[in-house]
Amino acid sequence: MREHRIPNVDDDRLTLSGTRPAVCAVLAIAGIGMLVAGLVLGWNRGDELKGFLASYLVSFCFFLSISLGALFFVALQHLVHAGWSVTVRRLAEILAANTFCMAILFLPILGPMMAGNSSLYAWSNPAAVDADELLQWKQPYLNVPFFAGRAVVYFLIWGLMARFFLANSTRQDDSGDPGLTRRMEKFSAVALILFSLTVTFAAFDWLMSLEPDWFSTIFGLYYFAGAVVAFFATLILFALALQQVGLVTQTITTEHYHELGKLLLGFIIFWGYMAFSQYMLIWYANIPEESVWYLARQTGPWTFVSLGLLLGHLLFPFFGLLPREVKRRKLLLGAWAVWMLVVHWIDLYWLVMPTFAPEHLPFGLIDVCCILGVGSLFLAGLLWSARSRALVPVKDPRLDESLAFENF
Amino acid sequence: MTAIPVDDNTVQDPTRRAPLVLGDADLASVTQTVCEIAERPRPPTSWYVAFAVSVALTGGLFAAVGYLIVTGIGVLGNNSPVYWGWPIVNFVFWIGIGHAGTLISAILFLFRQRWRTSINRFAEAMTLFAVACAGVFPAVHVGRIWLVYWLAPYPNQMDLWPNFRSPLLWDVVAISTYGTVSALFWYLGMIPDLATLRDRATSRWRQLLYGLFALGWRGSATQWHRFEWAYLLLAALATPLVLSVHSVVSFDFAVAQVPGWHTTIFPPYFVAGAIFSGCAMVVTLAVPARAYFGLKSLITMRHLDNMNKLILGTSLLVGYAYGVEVFMAWYGGNMYEAFAFANRALGPYAWAYWLMVTCNVIVPQLFWIRKCRTTPWIMFLIAVLVNVGMWMERFVIIVSSLGRDFLPSSWGMFKPTAVDVMMLVGSFGLFFTLFLLFCRYLPMVAMAEVKAVLPPDRGPAPAVEVD
Amino acid sequence: MDQAARETDSKQVAGLLAEFDGPQALKAAASGVREAGYTRFEAYSPFPVHGIDAAMGRRRTLLPWLVLGGGIAGGLGALLLQWWTNAVDYPYLISGKPWFSLPANIPVVFEAIILLSALAAFGGGLALSGLPELFHPLLSCARFRRATTDGFFLGIDASDPQFDESRTAALLRSLGAGETELYDRPRTEQKVPRPLVMAVVVAACLALLPPLWIARVRATRSASPRLHLVSDMDFQPKYLPQQSSPLFGDGRAMRPPVEGTMAVDQRGDDPHLLRGEVEGQPATTFPVAVTSDRMKRGRSRYDIYCATCHGLAGDGDGITSQLAFEREEPKWVRPLSVHSQVVRDQPVGQLFQTISDGIRTMPGYSSQISVEDRWAVVLYVLALQRGRHATLEDVPTELRRHLDTALQGDARTPDTER
Repeated sequence: MREHRIPNVDDDRLTLSGTRPAVCAVLAIAGIGMLVAGLVLGWNRGDELKGFLASYLVSFCFFLSISLGALFFVALQHLVHAGWSVTVRRLAEILAANTFCMAILFLPILGPMMAGNSSLYAWSNPAAVDADELLQWKQPYLNVPFFAGRAVVYFLIWGLMARFFLANSTRQDDSGDPGLTRRMEKFSAVALILFSLTVTFAAFDWLMSLEPDWFSTIFGLYYFAGAVVAFFATLILFALALQQVGLVTQTITTEHYHELGKLLLGFIIFWGYMAFSQYMLIWYANIPEESVWYLARQTGPWTFVSLGLLLGHLLFPFFGLLPREVKRRKLLLGAWAVWMLVVHWIDLYWLVMPTFAPEHLPFGLIDVCCILGVGSLFLAGLLWSARSRALVPVKDPRLDESLAFENF
Repeated sequence: MTAIPVDDNTVQDPTRRAPLVLGDADLASVTQTVCEIAERPRPPTSWYVAFAVSVALTGGLFAAVGYLIVTGIGVLGNNSPVYWGWPIVNFVFWIGIGHAGTLISAILFLFRQRWRTSINRFAEAMTLFAVACAGVFPAVHVGRIWLVYWLAPYPNQMDLWPNFRSPLLWDVVAISTYGTVSALFWYLGMIPDLATLRDRATSRWRQLLYGLFALGWRGSATQWHRFEWAYLLLAALATPLVLSVHSVVSFDFAVAQVPGWHTTIFPPYFVAGAIFSGCAMVVTLAVPARAYFGLKSLITMRHLDNMNKLILGTSLLVGYAYGVEVFMAWYGGNMYEAFAFANRALGPYAWAYWLMVTCNVIVPQLFWIRKCRTTPWIMFLIAVLVNVGMWMERFVIIVSSLGRDFLPSSWGMFKPTAVDVMMLVGSFGLFFTLFLLFCRYLPMVAMAEVKAVLPPDRGPAPAVEVD
Repeated sequence: MDQAARETDSKQVAGLLAEFDGPQALKAAASGVREAGYTRFEAYSPFPVHGIDAAMGRRRTLLPWLVLGGGIAGGLGALLLQWWTNAVDYPYLISGKPWFSLPANIPVVFEAIILLSALAAFGGGLALSGLPELFHPLLSCARFRRATTDGFFLGIDASDPQFDESRTAALLRSLGAGETELYDRPRTEQKVPRPLVMAVVVAACLALLPPLWIARVRATRSASPRLHLVSDMDFQPKYLPQQSSPLFGDGRAMRPPVEGTMAVDQRGDDPHLLRGEVEGQPATTFPVAVTSDRMKRGRSRYDIYCATCHGLAGDGDGITSQLAFEREEPKWVRPLSVHSQVVRDQPVGQLFQTISDGIRTMPGYSSQISVEDRWAVVLYVLALQRGRHATLEDVPTELRRHLDTALQGDARTPDTER
């Protein structure tokens, strides 16, 4: 019989001590450069920055979703007193802490709005509101000051919660005090309530209100489902990348990858469930005020994107991740993680873009600039949080359980 | 039975895992504790009393159904515009109850929540009985029940096929699949325990009957290997199934255009509500059952505590759905939708709405308090109130939306008849009759599974318990 | 058959059973037995012991593949069924949805996938475990009964090539077995109790009765009306025409028209037009203008109301009649051909009366066809008769050459009368 060998955390390299602040700075500057390039390209199109802002919103929501998924994961692990996930929890805490970084990255969306540019959200244009009774009805909710205020509240809540988990967990690295675990567990229930409300309304505000006439009660859950998928894919890649440079090679085992793969698969199905529920109900009832949103996504080239999502975001990865062996082989699992991130980005692109370009696929250089720009800044923030602390909660009371973890 | 000291295993200490089974239970005593309930010649008198009451109520149900079949569905309170009255309310209510069994058996199994082992068996049984109760209502309310086979796609002389694009047909397929798979899952898990009863049987008849249903189980490694795979696969299949079933039930409403029915959050919202009500029913049954049958060391306070946390969590999910619905009724700017929700809160059925909100969202918040989660009578009370609230939820959705739709000229109110009331009460009778029979003759706790989670010094595997 | 095997057969020894202390000891013993070269042995425990499959050298089960197969079969089957029934064989429009509506088909496809996979998991799991197997030598071994409570056993089958009573027992003891015991094949077959067998036989016989009865009823003819197990709406609490009722003074259920009222379409009192009567006799002339347009109108009414029985050409061979003969309906009377002499002799007024009031089994059509249209039908019937019995002289000279070419094109006789 093949005995399960329990790895030892002391044998492992657990810190990114070699990373200097300069690396972060270079990444940040490169990111800003990319965004400026995108801005210039967008400016030259003469569409009041509409193309640039929409593309930026996609990339922003993409990277934000990773951090939000991480925040959810951390809080959930504490809520259920999970033992298996301890070795990967610090990575999730670091990812979640990037909500601070995302708060700053929200300014390019908020700034132009405050300055009177209403090309992104039609409801922020007073002329449009005057002409549309429905927008007047929604004005108590959809107006620029309230929108900005809500965004501040969301980021405060996310940022403080992420900070709370990361700080307490890091403090435990020194003290090993089980009371800290207890404290985080106690707070996690409240954290999840706050999380679910803020994510729902953030999705309503930033994505659903792009088409202010349209509404769907499940929309918050839809964004949440995609966020968790993106998070698990990122976490797998994060761990693989760290192991690639010789870190945490002992502590994060095949068993953990297997488990993450299962959760990734589970949330892919969950995403499919949300997507189908929304589509099915709107398609079947066929009420014009709702179905118009899908009509735009079922005409012209967007038809193929919609079908591509059905296949690429649900059916292919479902069958691809089903076999046990795929989830236990780093290369295959990593490949599927990359795939899922790509289709998740397409999913967000599909949510945003048909509003601005119903007849063609506007993919171009601006999108590339935005992805790379926001991505570099996200990575810079990640490395900044990661560089000064252990990548595994070394004194978590349940660490041994996690190290001994085995799938049945 | 061994006297087992009941200590507290509800405190969560991060440095060690709380025991799942209390006292000094070992392999033999687990078998003894569970089997002797099914083996004793006479159950306690209270069992007979409860059984008599339940059978009487079941008789009421059959009488009401018989009267309905002979006379026609005019005997129900259903009217125009409330075409779907109590039968559908009761149907959705019972199907919802049925969801907790599969949740506890399958979903918690996949999440390696090993505390489920003590309660999964009777939660599964509860699922089956609830599905049986649920099945009564759509079957009889079609009117001409002897033609109910028309729902099946079979070649016929009329050259017709059922309409597969109709949510009502999805319902038939989903419910029958759910009933079948739940029964298989329940039975498969019970085979090793039936074998235990067979091997302990003293009378020829018991040996024969338990032996017949144990199918010759011997507990060989080969059999366990196949068994575990079959069980795991059934759990993996039951998990999406349980989500799909109540989603399909929600489609019955949500694909329509009736205000208050058509909203995209319905599928997950119904699933959460179903699990919520099912968990409440598990607590309702577990609290008296563990006391009467001496199972306190197996179904510990920790189990109840965890169930209560699940109730709290699902209550919050249901509250979330209520909130988002109300927000979207305003945000959507559709006057009918806005009216439907204003009417629920302020209209003639406002009492039902506020009863629902109180029972489903406000009362369960008591479970934030540890004392409420660990005091049997308090949790019992809350669980009963949750069941009331969840029944009211279906009543509110169905009756208030149908009674007040687009045209004020076709508004109406719903009034249940005596037959309606008798069928509802009688369905509880059927449910408890089946449950009491189950307690009497079948292993109420999954013995083989409990044995696998006993502390290592008392028998088995290194039980790294994950919760 | 080798020596050892024959010996064990004659002794009816089925195998050797050894008890161990717990799961770990059992696992170690299984491993030891395998290393000693045994292949036909089993470990028995009251709960699954993890890692014992590897210790025994068993391979992973094929069950997941069976389940995958079940799922694929279920999904494709359900899709095919829905496509065939709703889009091909019996297409009809529901709420504007396409005949083949994939989103609406997904719930059923999904449930079918789960159902067939679950059946495969259950059936396959049992079949691969060799269950049900109600009689097994071990089950009659008293000690083995503890295997389902707290006993951990290892059983080596006598058919194993390595099996030898004493050597195998020694091996098991060296591996830590507490006690070993030979278990035998039962000398006599286990018998199912007689009452149970009888009950099953009786139940099976009784179950045969309903299908046999149905078969008998289907195969024989009976003059008595059918048995109404469920009356549906065959008998309704309502009055039929000409029935009596105690509700009214005159005892009639049907009420005469109220004084001074007139039925719809009962215009004036023109017996010629309304009843086809002239001085009490059937009219021989039309009360309406005879025009080509009216005849065409008559043709359209005839095709709708009359042709189903009388046939498009009036030969009495309409689709209803054909079907009735095919089914050998005992009460069916072939409708008269309008070309028969007896009909040709009738004056137009009589034809009108027949259409209005019906005759023999033919119902009256006055409620469905308006007065003018009935006369139009009469006109069309005359046209049919005239056409059937026409001679070459009836065709205007300038049109005869068309007739010639038509006849050359079709060699058959124009007379289609059978």
